[in-house]
Amino acid sequence: MSPADSAALAAEATPVEGKYVYCIIRNDRSREFGEIGIGSGARVYTVSHNDLAAVVSDTPIVIYDPTRENVLAHEFVNETVMREFTLIPMSFGTVFRSEKDVLALLKSTYQAFTDVLDKMQDKIEFGLKILWDRDKVVAAIERDNDEIRRLKDEITRNAASSTYFARMQLGRLVEAAMEEASNRYVTDIHEQLKDVSAASRSNKVIGDRMILNAAFLVDRKDERSFDERVKAISLQYEDLLTFKYTGPWPPYNFVNIKLKLEKAT
Amino acid sequence: MGLLTNILLSPFLGPIWGTKWTLDKVDRVVREELTDDTPIKEDLMALQLQLEMGEIDDDEYTRREAEIMQRLREVREWREKFGMSTSGGPVRVAEGDESP
Repeated sequence: MSPADSAALAAEATPVEGKYVYCIIRNDRSREFGEIGIGSGARVYTVSHNDLAAVVSDTPIVIYDPTRENVLAHEFVNETVMREFTLIPMSFGTVFRSEKDVLALLKSTYQAFTDVLDKMQDKIEFGLKILWDRDKVVAAIERDNDEIRRLKDEITRNAASSTYFARMQLGRLVEAAMEEASNRYVTDIHEQLKDVSAASRSNKVIGDRMILNAAFLVDRKDERSFDERVKAISLQYEDLLTFKYTGPWPPYNFVNIKLKLEKAT
Repeated sequence: MGLLTNILLSPFLGPIWGTKWTLDKVDRVVREELTDDTPIKEDLMALQLQLEMGEIDDDEYTRREAEIMQRLREVREWREKFGMSTSGGPVRVAEGDESP
């Protein structure tokens, strides 16, 4: 037997019996979503129990690394499904051993899924990350804050004689003013988005330039108003802040069902 | 730092007891370090942000992502060795969910 033959045999021996689950939707007929699944375009289809369905694709029983490629495949399926359905996203990498195990999930969690689907009906999520340019914010503070401007002028005028402590004090004042500015921006932005969103959630900021990492739950009917509001705010702050605005997403940050799952051996 | 301080500031422990205590402590600290994937996930998110902001290119991203995936796999292996829960991999509905 050639090495190529034995490799082919090994590939065949790997059973493609598992189900990768992307999300849960309300749908009582079987549906196909095309060959867009994780792992080089697996066929995406539904497994139904009464009026609930899990959107799945066949997969070998493996652990998927959260690489950009894999995460994008997971998200792309959910985005596709989202065009037609309200959905409850499953966490990345959820694999069941068989269709029977997927049905067991739908049956045992039927009521909770139904409740959440009702609550999330016609809701979508937007992500908003805001980063600031430290130098520009410091410049704005030095321009607007009298005390800081005076102290800075003084240090500049008496460069030779100005003490270490005067510089220290300036540094402390600037730090405090920056924190105050960050809180003020974030509060103002939340305030402006309040009447066009149903809920919001702030996540931990990433890195030292980010001042806001938030998710907003928005009614589909408010999508355009939310969009326009974000654009207006980013114009208002364009000299100081960088906006990373993404979506619409499935309500990843607003669905909190504790699934009672255990490792299948 | 904390560990070293504890060892240095423990003059009352006899040699045998002291050694055992130290090993337990090392074991716990090392175990926490080996099984915590939070900093790795934060690194991954920071890397993603750098790509989105155009601060690194695709090649750089792919190279550093591979390193992070390797670290995640190592943590997962340690968690399995210690019998801790892991994310990813096959799951099923837990039985006897009404029990305390």
